[in-house]
Amino acid sequence: MIHYLLRRLALGLVTLLLITFLVYALIRAIPGTPLTAAVAQTDPSRRLNPADLERMNAAYGLDKPWYQAYFLWLSNVARGDLGRSISRKAPVTQLIGERIGPTLALSGSSLLLAWALAIPLGLYTAARSGKPDERAVNLVLYMLYSVPTFVAALALQITFSIWSEGKLWELPLFGMTSGEAHETTIAWLADVGWHSILPLACMTYGGLAWDARFINTNLQEVLRQDYIRTARAKGAGSFRVLGHHAFRNTLIPVVTLLGLSLPALLGGSVIIEQIFTWPGMGRLFFESLRERDYPTIMGLTLVFSLLTLAGQLLADILYALVDPRVSLE
Amino acid sequence: MITRKDPTAVARDKPPRGFWGEAWGRFRRMPLAMAALLFVCFLAVVALFAPAIAGTKPVVCRYKGSIYVPCLAYFNRDWEPVVFATDKFRGEYPQNLRDKDPESWAIWPLVFQDPYRAVRADEWPGLPANPTHENGRPNSRNLFGTNQEGIDVFAKMVHGTLVALLVGFVSMGIAATIGITLGAIAGYFGGVVDMAISRVTEVVMCIPTLILILALLAIVEKPTIWKMMAVLGFTGWTGISRLMRAEFLRLRSAEFVTAARALGAGPGRIIFRHVLPNALAPVVVPITFGIAAAILTESGLSFLGFGQPPPSASWGSLLNNARSNLQMWWLVFFPGTAIFLTVLAFNLIGEGLQKATDPRLREARK
Repeated sequence: MIHYLLRRLALGLVTLLLITFLVYALIRAIPGTPLTAAVAQTDPSRRLNPADLERMNAAYGLDKPWYQAYFLWLSNVARGDLGRSISRKAPVTQLIGERIGPTLALSGSSLLLAWALAIPLGLYTAARSGKPDERAVNLVLYMLYSVPTFVAALALQITFSIWSEGKLWELPLFGMTSGEAHETTIAWLADVGWHSILPLACMTYGGLAWDARFINTNLQEVLRQDYIRTARAKGAGSFRVLGHHAFRNTLIPVVTLLGLSLPALLGGSVIIEQIFTWPGMGRLFFESLRERDYPTIMGLTLVFSLLTLAGQLLADILYALVDPRVSLE
Repeated sequence: MITRKDPTAVARDKPPRGFWGEAWGRFRRMPLAMAALLFVCFLAVVALFAPAIAGTKPVVCRYKGSIYVPCLAYFNRDWEPVVFATDKFRGEYPQNLRDKDPESWAIWPLVFQDPYRAVRADEWPGLPANPTHENGRPNSRNLFGTNQEGIDVFAKMVHGTLVALLVGFVSMGIAATIGITLGAIAGYFGGVVDMAISRVTEVVMCIPTLILILALLAIVEKPTIWKMMAVLGFTGWTGISRLMRAEFLRLRSAEFVTAARALGAGPGRIIFRHVLPNALAPVVVPITFGIAAAILTESGLSFLGFGQPPPSASWGSLLNNARSNLQMWWLVFFPGTAIFLTVLAFNLIGEGLQKATDPRLREARK
């Protein structure tokens, strides 16, 4: 087990190196530097004169060729220093630290919610296979899966914020809090919860539909096995057959999907955060890309890739845990 | 769909139809998948005849003794006949045709609206100027309403169909070419080549797709629709490559490959003539799903404002317009429904293909 983990970690490190190297090369190839991009947005009279620009380029290490700058960045990261944001004048670790909470809260609760709803739905559709209600549920799930998140987000915003103005169920259009000071933590939590209903719904429905259909297909395959017939023949009730005998055997592909859905979830959060101005990492990524803020982009890429690789590793470990035939040795 | 075979059909001696013929026979019996296929055909017809459905340029016209087809300019600006530029038409045909050549005649598109600009008052006799902002509700003249600048949404959507379909097919064509080639090489040769290609695939897979796409789009600066397709193609090949590699690993030690090698066939011939046709079935399904994903991503990027700069007819750019004024629900409803239906259609076709080509599922249904 430890041997396997070490090997996987070493491989992951190589992948991380390759990813960061590639992304660094890419972002340095984008026209404009942090200094010129930030100035272009303000008025032209504040543009730096060439001498100042040169001095600042040297100060931020932008005068070096990109591969040298990459190794400089890498050696700093190895010492635990992600650098300072050029446009925000703050340490990147601090910026990401501020933003990682909202992102993980949103994607984490979306993941939990999706699975909490998908498992009973998948079981239900498998149990009612071929009946009209099963077909209706499956069709709805299928259609949900094809609705683009940004269309759903706009539709929900229009229905629950614009058209419901002044009504009881009016939901906030964007933001994470209403911006007022809260007296207690509970009041703050309630405000955040109220604001997170729409983004959470948008992030969840697609995964929910996909997961429920996935569980359904796997269950149907398992339900054709001989041991299910045996269980039925010995007189086990349909609930017990489904929950005890069948569902446990579908866990293997389900667990794999769980690990692999992490990157998709993070990718999806980028668009959702942008629409609902949720102060998370996805929004920070958009902003820093526009500002050509190399240290922040690299820091975020590192975090995103780390989470992706961690998801894959988690999937493999869980795989061995739920399937006694799989050994990690 | 479970359909019992007609006993007379079995009795009749039919020549064997081959793998794809069989698959088509099964596909045809799935009503949902067939409906989806019909819908995609309908979209293709709309895309091809878009300038004849909505536009302000005549489909065919006779001007100063010659016949012209000015509507083709919607496909490519250079195809606009030069005579209309030298005669200073400035894109306004009805009045100019009448004034400059009383003898002229023209066949007009079904709907006189332009996807790139607002129609002015009396440009078409009796047609008022397009309303702008919140006044642009769907009405009898603007079926799907107008956007902030007064551009007709229906015309934009009709012309955007071509963009959506092109994005799907071209970007997936690029992705499939890269994925199939790399996967085939990795799977067939194995060893060091396989190691190198698999590592590259893994790295591209691990970079969050949106980061990769946004960075590439930022590099190309002014993203035209063609650059967008290239970017989507160059980032979407990893899944296909992995599937192809697995198929080739399975098939490279098959007897027919050994036989081909014994006959003296080189690796190129074995890969493309012998193995590839047998390995193609499993990747057809992810390619179809990939088309849906590419259409989704393109409209998403246009929605976020990373698409082709205006004037563009992409469905996603209409949604982008809606973002600045959510009161204009028609800017969400119509393009949103179009994207949803198109993505749904390709997903249904993919699912149908999966059922029609996967022998495992076929066995299970007996």
